[in-house]
Amino acid sequence: MNGAGHLLRFMLRRERFGLPWWLLGATVLVLVQSTQSQNLYDTPEDLAKLRESLGGNTAVVAMSGPTRLLESIGGEVLFEIFAFVSIVVALMNMFLVGRHTRADEESGRAELVRSARVGRRATLTAALTLAGLANLAVGVLVFAVTVGTGLPVAGSVLFGAALAGVGCVFAAATAVAVQVFENARAAYGAVALVLGAAYVLRAAGDVGDGTLSWLSPIGWGQRTFAYVDNRWWPLLVMAAAIGAAVAVAMAMLGRRDFGAGLVRPRLGRATASAALGSPLGLAWRLQRGSLIGWAAGLFLLGAAYGSIGDSIEQYVADNPEVAEFLPGGAADIVDGYLGLTAMTLALIGTAFGVIAALRARGEETSGRAEPVLATATSRAAWLASHLVVAAAGSALVLAAAGFGEGLAYGLTVSDAGQAPRMVGVALGYLPSVLLVTAVAVLAIGWLPRAATALAWTMVGYCAVVALFADSFEIPGWLQRGSPFAHTPQAPLEALTATPLVILAVLAAALAAGGYAGLRRRDLGY
Amino acid sequence: MHADNGAAIEIAGLTKSYGRAKALDGLDLTVTSGQVHGFLGPNGSGKTTTIRVLLGLLRADAGAVRMLGGDPWRDAVALHRRLAYVPGDVNLWPNITGGEVIDLLGRMRGGLDRRRRDELLERFDLDPRKKSRTYSKGNRQKVALVAALASDAELLLLDEPTSGLDPLMEAQFQQCVQQVKREGRTVLLSSHILAEVEALCDRVSIIRLGRTVESGTLTELRHLTRTSIAVETAQRLDGMDGLPGVHDLVLEDHHARFDVETAQLDAVMRRLAPLGVRSLTSTPPTLEELFLRHYGDEQAVAR
Ligand SMILES: Nc1ncnc2c1ncn2[C@@H]1O[C@H](COP(=O)(O)OP(=O)(O)O)[C@@H](O)[C@H]1O
Ligand SMILES: [Mg+2]
Repeated sequence: MNGAGHLLRFMLRRERFGLPWWLLGATVLVLVQSTQSQNLYDTPEDLAKLRESLGGNTAVVAMSGPTRLLESIGGEVLFEIFAFVSIVVALMNMFLVGRHTRADEESGRAELVRSARVGRRATLTAALTLAGLANLAVGVLVFAVTVGTGLPVAGSVLFGAALAGVGCVFAAATAVAVQVFENARAAYGAVALVLGAAYVLRAAGDVGDGTLSWLSPIGWGQRTFAYVDNRWWPLLVMAAAIGAAVAVAMAMLGRRDFGAGLVRPRLGRATASAALGSPLGLAWRLQRGSLIGWAAGLFLLGAAYGSIGDSIEQYVADNPEVAEFLPGGAADIVDGYLGLTAMTLALIGTAFGVIAALRARGEETSGRAEPVLATATSRAAWLASHLVVAAAGSALVLAAAGFGEGLAYGLTVSDAGQAPRMVGVALGYLPSVLLVTAVAVLAIGWLPRAATALAWTMVGYCAVVALFADSFEIPGWLQRGSPFAHTPQAPLEALTATPLVILAVLAAALAAGGYAGLRRRDLGY
Repeated sequence: MHADNGAAIEIAGLTKSYGRAKALDGLDLTVTSGQVHGFLGPNGSGKTTTIRVLLGLLRADAGAVRMLGGDPWRDAVALHRRLAYVPGDVNLWPNITGGEVIDLLGRMRGGLDRRRRDELLERFDLDPRKKSRTYSKGNRQKVALVAALASDAELLLLDEPTSGLDPLMEAQFQQCVQQVKREGRTVLLSSHILAEVEALCDRVSIIRLGRTVESGTLTELRHLTRTSIAVETAQRLDGMDGLPGVHDLVLEDHHARFDVETAQLDAVMRRLAPLGVRSLTSTPPTLEELFLRHYGDEQAVAR
């Protein structure tokens, strides 16, 4: 344990810019949900109606949690947000523990620390303590915003404790994963898999008789039934799991060599396949994993949206206030809902396009572009290779999102035509996505150091304008800067070619402008 | 195959700044075709910057740069078909194996010799099936070396290619470069390992703070340094300390040890001969000394 205290202080220093954003993200999620739920269902009658409409909806239960939570308004908040905020907190813990243990070991940074007078277990101890402190902060903040928005104190303490507990479980799980795998990415993959399993198990359990939920840390948290029964003992289950996982991790740590894992990394190909012989082949190879992940993720999210499309009519009939949020009002409820969710999916999909384009900049700053550009590869071909993946990938991600939504909605209303229809709706946003991506390209060409910040500012701006224009009363001129404001909101509005063509041409022009900047500047710094 | 003027690289008065920091300040460099040219200088002296200008990755602020008869900035793609490059800091894609990287870079250059590739893998004892993230610095460097050496490029730009290799691999590397030289190809070898440069290079340029301070064949450069002499004579050695160009003299009746400036070697020998030389050993100057002479004062300044 020698030196763990010093290490912890050093880790806190390294996290001082990143960690606050995670804490803020989790807190805001709970704050928004608590405010919104209490506004929408301010009377016991409203809550009773909600129980009736949601309680019987399998898709909603699978996405959220056990219906018993709907017995009180605080429970309703937990029902809606706990699973999602658990994912955020779990990821925070995964990165906190992973970054300071395996990632450092892999990069060789930890070797310096190890050669100083620091005990074998000090790093892991410090990293777990760091995660514990972060989870404590999450718990306190959640307690503060729930009590602050008027929810009962006892339930709020339990809510905060349960969420912090879920965080600690995933910190401990990461501690095991980083012993098993030799590289951080594989460890993250394993923890993400556990997280996915935790979500699916509780979904299956909540839809069924509840047994399977007991295999999931998220399930343990929800089954405290905070604000309803205020059960404390599920926290003991968490504590047992945490203790067991940490003990296993420490035992494995004592047994393995520095830098090694328990699983040897698999060997790959000795020669390149025919596909890996050009800049485009390389860009595809580098980005295909991310593309598949994004397409699958948005397909599932689309399916989740689509699966409740049919019940939205009944839901709005029960809660007329909700209709205000839908562009078509009460008249075209389903189409309005499908359009709004398709645009939300497209906004999320924009992140893929931007990440894919920024990949070019990442290759440049990491020095990996240098050997490529020292071959007979021109700057144009190199940039284009990443942009082709960004553009074609964006189309695929949007199509997958639309297909998921159309398929799920089509299944509930027995209409096979919904899938292609929603694919078309989603692809209508492709020019907008490309335009935002092209802004990233322009920045890479002319303001490379600011490119990442500029690109994400653009994404954030589009999201805020699209989703909150009405509630924040954003002035019209400010809204018109977003390409999404110029895309007809299908299926409510008809898709027309003119705006889409203009957006696409603009995107091409910006990308060309970005290349003009790239070809005349120094590369690699 | 080579440009008529016999120069693969010609740089005159090259200047390059990163923002306000001046990395190159009027650098001159001429590399003759078919030669191995050593490019020496301490860390931060501008070797990598020069090579990046040659690769067309950086644009020169001022000065004239020609490579293989073309302009490195304008004709980058055409020139790159004729050269191979090993970066000083080899960064590879973590999920791609070493073998795949070698093939990929080779194909993007315009093809590689598969037999030579496999031979080099064997030589450098490199497992091509490992993912790049699992390679050490030395092994990443080997990947870049195999990719470059397996090509038939007429010019090799090697930026401190052996800084991560162990002595055994260093020896393999030297054999490979000798082979490249026998094939009549040109090599620009940036290094701060003097033994390597002495073993391989026909000519050497020494740079410091972005400026060339010395350039020539090893023989020429040795003229600028001192030879160590140990001598025993029949008669007593008197009056040695007054001789011009003699330094660090240790005198003991019939024995003497001293360093002599190469330019004064002849005069000193004439002075010794009449005394009846019984034995004499002379040690030629090393680049090490040359280096120290040029950077000794810089270190003093740095302190
Ligand atoms: N990307 C960069 N930004 C700013 N300064 C740099 C950059 N790259 C190199 N330098 C500076 O330029 C000088 C020359 O560096 P470099 O060419 O890498 O030297 P060498 O390869 O001989 O070690 C050094 O002072 C270094 O700090
Ligand atoms: Mg260098």
